Amino acid sequence: MSNSLSLSRRGKLWIGQFRCMASPCEVLLETDDEAEARALGEMAQREALRIEHKFSRYRDDNIVHRINSGGETVEVDEETARLLDFADNCYDLSDGWFDITCGILRRAWSFADGAKIPTQRQIDLLLPHIGWQKVSWKNPLLTVPAGMEIDFGGIGKEYAVDACLQLLSRHGDCSLMVNYGGDCHASGPMADGSAWMTGIENPHRPGDASAVIQLKRGALATSGDVFKFIRQNGKRYGHILNPNSGWPDTNSPLSVTVAAPTCTEAGILSTLAMLQGEDAEAFLDRQAVKYWCYR
Amino acid sequence: MQLSNKKIAGMLSAATCSLLGTSAQAEDDNWDVDTAVLYYDESDGRVSAFEPVISATRDLGDDESLTFKLVLDSLTGSSASGAVPSTQVQVFTRPSGDGSYRVEPNETPLDPSFKDTRLSFSMNWEKPVDRNNRRNLGFNFSHEYDFTSVSANAMWQHDTNQRNTTWSYGLNIEVDDIDPVGGPPEALTSMADQNKASGTEDRTIVDLLFGVTQVIDRSSLFQVNLSLSEADGYMTDPYKLVSVVDNTTGQPIDHLFEGRPDSRSRQSIYGKYKKMFANKNIFTASYRYMTDDWGIDSDTFDFNYRFALSNGYYIQPRFRWYQQTEADFYNYFLLPGETPSDASADYRLGEMEATTIGFKFGKDIDEQQAWSLRLELYEQTGEGSPSEAFGQLAQQDLYPDVEATIVQFNYSFRF
Repeated sequence: MSNSLSLSRRGKLWIGQFRCMASPCEVLLETDDEAEARALGEMAQREALRIEHKFSRYRDDNIVHRINSGGETVEVDEETARLLDFADNCYDLSDGWFDITCGILRRAWSFADGAKIPTQRQIDLLLPHIGWQKVSWKNPLLTVPAGMEIDFGGIGKEYAVDACLQLLSRHGDCSLMVNYGGDCHASGPMADGSAWMTGIENPHRPGDASAVIQLKRGALATSGDVFKFIRQNGKRYGHILNPNSGWPDTNSPLSVTVAAPTCTEAGILSTLAMLQGEDAEAFLDRQAVKYWCYR
Repeated sequence: MQLSNKKIAGMLSAATCSLLGTSAQAEDDNWDVDTAVLYYDESDGRVSAFEPVISATRDLGDDESLTFKLVLDSLTGSSASGAVPSTQVQVFTRPSGDGSYRVEPNETPLDPSFKDTRLSFSMNWEKPVDRNNRRNLGFNFSHEYDFTSVSANAMWQHDTNQRNTTWSYGLNIEVDDIDPVGGPPEALTSMADQNKASGTEDRTIVDLLFGVTQVIDRSSLFQVNLSLSEADGYMTDPYKLVSVVDNTTGQPIDHLFEGRPDSRSRQSIYGKYKKMFANKNIFTASYRYMTDDWGIDSDTFDFNYRFALSNGYYIQPRFRWYQQTEADFYNYFLLPGETPSDASADYRLGEMEATTIGFKFGKDIDEQQAWSLRLELYEQTGEGSPSEAFGQLAQQDLYPDVEATIVQFNYSFRF
């Protein structure tokens, strides 16, 4: 069942697993207390589902739907405001490379089996409807022009990881790690001082965790999807799209994993690195973060 | 336009902290360097001090860090010697025993040879033991031409209540070696006799600290510290004097070297409340009560309020008020025939009040750099015309006020 928590014991850990945000999700808890583990696991699941429901672009009963339904000014709640402020900050500090209005490019891009790359004309029709600078955001009032959309897909899962970790850390007294689809965040080392082990996938050998990363505290996030790409004309078109051109960089790494204090930061850095194409490593070196880049 | 040359990780961290409502986490493998220059200047040409400080913290990851600090203190000017002023010219022997100096009528006798450079070095190693415990070990060395101090400290911090409560236990042991110019004088003997021993004196100070910090809610916390301090050994200031005055005229007829008890026990309680508002302004209030077996009780109130301005600037006004009672053996002067076991006229042991007002203005440039400028005015007042003053003493200011200006510039950066 996709909507129930499965709880299992592995060594000295309790592991709660569920599905959310189209990903396998798990929380690893260093406790002997099964009741506590279940309570925390259910708390994580509720929080992840809450965030998915609230910020998914695929629903018609949430704040994102209200914002995107045609040029109206919407007064947003405090959490949405924080996410919008964050997106606004990221747009500024990335000189526009990170833009939550670029989700409509999926109308031109499909990564289903056998999909072809779009024509430049298809892209050109969409580009006028992209650009965070065209949006009016004055906390708490947001106006997205008609024809444009915002999409928290680029930060939602990472935000959920950080938010769940925070929530669980406040309620539980055990060391823990949250891992949603490979994006993870550890609260701190285990009681004996040892690190959490987490694998990152080698895109050349899908399904095989090739590098085991020891994580004592902080987060990892990976960008790049081993299945979501189009190979055409001898080039590889990935699913991370440049908001200015509407195209992916065909010289991007296959995947980039970044370690950072929070999953949200790691996610932004790995996404921006993918967009830098052959300069991905140079960009990450400049940020002085640990990273694993597969080409 | 390529992004690959732009460093955004620091600003991204700050943005994420706002998103998640957390405080900034230091990145691993960095040096955080704090540099400061402090200038302290008393009015009337008394003491002035110039003090550059550099401190560097190496982040070793996982909340482990190593801090080194170097302070150079250079003092010039003169401080009140404790002797009473007179309507006549007074002549004092220099501490070295070689030569003498004059003090003009009605002037506060100062020790004019007050010139000193102090070098102090400290290091501190902080390391988490496990999720809820941290330990801190420190070492300090300080030296000036007539004084050397070595101390070591250890602190244990334990978190409970989902890290909302922190218990702190600390121990500090300090050993001081005092090597006065000309040798340690025999307490309460006439300066004119220059009755001085050879060799050095020492003292040992042990401090114990017990503290609790309680997070009240996301934006405020309260802290209480109790400390006990036991000092044993040479506590006397070898350069301070106590005057013996004539029974009727009040004119000084002799000046004795001061003498203090050879032990001191202090207890203090300190409370601090800190609150951060939604607009990022921060209010801090603290109070300390201290009492010791010399008879000095003191109260310190300290308030500051940090106003966050735009673009990372802030301004932080401060008000501090201090008062203390006098030590049991504090005497403005002695009369002929009085033979107390201890006596001092050091103004720092007298009854007094002190007020500090000022502000700090600064800017947090980014995650990597910050600067601030602190400007404060300090005023210390005591009873200059005590009821026991008689004869010519009644015309003198027996407790001159101290007014000082403090300017400090700070620059900190991370690399």
